[in-house]
Amino acid sequence: MGLPELLATLLVVAVCGLLMAGYPVAFTLGGTALAFAVLGEATGVMRFSLLGALPPRVFGVMTNEVLLAIPLFILMGVMLERSRIAEELLETMGRAFGRLTGGLAISVTLVGVLLAAAKGVVGATVVTMGLISLPAMLRHGYNPRLAAGTVAATGTLAQIMPPATVLVLLGDQLNTAYQAAQLAQGKFAPDQVSVSDLFAGAVIPALALVGLYLAFQIGVALLRPHACPAIRREPDAPTGVALIRRLADALVAPLALIIVVLGSILGGLATPTEAAAVGAFGAILLTARKAAPTRSAPVTLAILAAAGLLVLHHVADLRVGRADASAWDDAAVAAAFVLLAALAYGAAAAIATVAREKILQPALAATTQITAMIFTILIGATMFSLVFRGLGGDDMVQRALGDLPGGVAGALLIVMVAMFLLGFVMDAFEIIFVVVPIVAPPLLRMPGVDPVWLGILMAMNLQTSYLHPPLGPTLFYLRGVAPPQVKTLDIYIGVIPFVLIQLGMLVVLWFRPGLATWLPHLLAGG
Amino acid sequence: MVDRLAAIAAGIDRFNAAIGRTVTWCLIGMVIVQVAVVLMRYVLGIGSIWLSETILYAHATLFMGAAAWTLQARGHVRVDIFYADAAPRTRALVDLAGALFLLLPFIGGLAWFALPYVTRSWAILEHSPEASGLPLVFLLKTLILLFALLLGLQGIAQAARAWLTLVGAAPAPAPRPHH
Repeated sequence: MGLPELLATLLVVAVCGLLMAGYPVAFTLGGTALAFAVLGEATGVMRFSLLGALPPRVFGVMTNEVLLAIPLFILMGVMLERSRIAEELLETMGRAFGRLTGGLAISVTLVGVLLAAAKGVVGATVVTMGLISLPAMLRHGYNPRLAAGTVAATGTLAQIMPPATVLVLLGDQLNTAYQAAQLAQGKFAPDQVSVSDLFAGAVIPALALVGLYLAFQIGVALLRPHACPAIRREPDAPTGVALIRRLADALVAPLALIIVVLGSILGGLATPTEAAAVGAFGAILLTARKAAPTRSAPVTLAILAAAGLLVLHHVADLRVGRADASAWDDAAVAAAFVLLAALAYGAAAAIATVAREKILQPALAATTQITAMIFTILIGATMFSLVFRGLGGDDMVQRALGDLPGGVAGALLIVMVAMFLLGFVMDAFEIIFVVVPIVAPPLLRMPGVDPVWLGILMAMNLQTSYLHPPLGPTLFYLRGVAPPQVKTLDIYIGVIPFVLIQLGMLVVLWFRPGLATWLPHLLAGG
Repeated sequence: MVDRLAAIAAGIDRFNAAIGRTVTWCLIGMVIVQVAVVLMRYVLGIGSIWLSETILYAHATLFMGAAAWTLQARGHVRVDIFYADAAPRTRALVDLAGALFLLLPFIGGLAWFALPYVTRSWAILEHSPEASGLPLVFLLKTLILLFALLLGLQGIAQAARAWLTLVGAAPAPAPRPHH
């Protein structure tokens, strides 16, 4: 090992060691890398002036259009959370299914799936579920282990359920790596892999996971009914048609929003950013309607206007500024402008409502801070990557991966194991920003490694390590909000069946890449 | 000395919190403008590079302007396996050493390389590469220096507060971020 390789290795060791101290990750990455750049200059291994590439890289992050989707998706989730839609859903679904043995656990899983799809940030989902679902299950006599395992596993689905934040970031990084890998192979019109591809790739594996969770819960209900008893019927609770109406009321709006957002991305109608903005906008409308039901007329107007625009778009050609527009088209364009004005009025009223009810400001603050946290890590990781590359670390990793026994499978396996272990101590964001740019280009250059498959494998791998005792971050989040009668050991034991399901799914995905690649290919028409 | 240091830290906190709270409104601007762009494109068939770039500018302002406020609110992720359960003095020591030896050098290095980069952009009042784009790229690039300045200030406040904790003149920082 020469001096450059030694320094590159020491850089990784130093970062890992310093991270343990607990100073924010973004600055630990950046600060340590800077120190090694100075060391590299002093020993003549790398030029310090190489860091002149840092400001253009940061500017690249600032002007990256793919990453615009991040704050918009987070805002959508935070707004839905503040509207207390999750509580209401859980209550009504619990009433609907709770009188079956195991029904409450199944309701929690289904609500968790919706919430995970809406929020896309694990910590937030697990905390919300832990505060709402866990006490509900315990109150009705559920086994604390089953209850804790269910909440932890479904909350962690936010890692992989589209439109997960993790998939947006992973898609962006993988695309860069994929381009680099193809250029290195002399392919000068490289293929792209998009965030939408990763979303589509995640659909089947994520739904399969949910199906297996449900199967496990039904199995427990059949074999050990006392672990998940049916809820006793409350005397004044609605039943029959009234219950179905309540359920429809609670379910239809958020479900429709998620379907519109995901459907438009998967169907190729909208970019993730466009869909995320519409999703955040819809979440504001829904929240305003719930926060002030007596003043919901403007919101109803806005929703009707949006529906009207959709209809009009289908029956007439609304493109403005055409010379050959018929009288019918002109009239339709005029009508469209009226509807747009109505939509704008409704939107303004909705924003005013959520601001007046003091829902908007905290939601904006929370979203802004999560966004700033993610992007600051990205900036710190950019510095790290520059120095690591400057010291020749990239070539070192590439040679090491190429020399492994077992070829492609060996290289992939070692990367997966490393990411799994890193997942215990680091957030998915850091791993994606630091590890993926280093390992993905050599992996994607190997034969038979599809970028979507690799991305979904990585996402599910990180998701599993998030859940794995004793260090999985989900378990810490849940520990923080769980009632005292749930012991840490209950959480550890409770998640084991779910971790086994996850690992099983990873193995299946390893041998059946089609689970991830089939839907994106189908949607791309290939 | 102790009082002056506490006053400086409190002043920096107020300054960065004011900027952070202000830039949160960029978010609602992003939503409105992006929805407007979607409606214009899909309904009326008109596109606007100018409006699309406005969204990028709002996004960059959001996270570059709020990073320091996020540090103040303890919103930056830490590996808190040991930190969360550490004694208050240990946490203060980590914050002090981290601010002095990790954050401030990193921010200083970024500012050192960003300064000529931003100055070059100002010298030509750099325009968007798109003909009909915003002519304000030099302002967008200046955000890198603003990011460094605000974070540098907040790092000084963090170090000051940690030092005050170590000498017993201030309460310990909270172990966990709160979001």
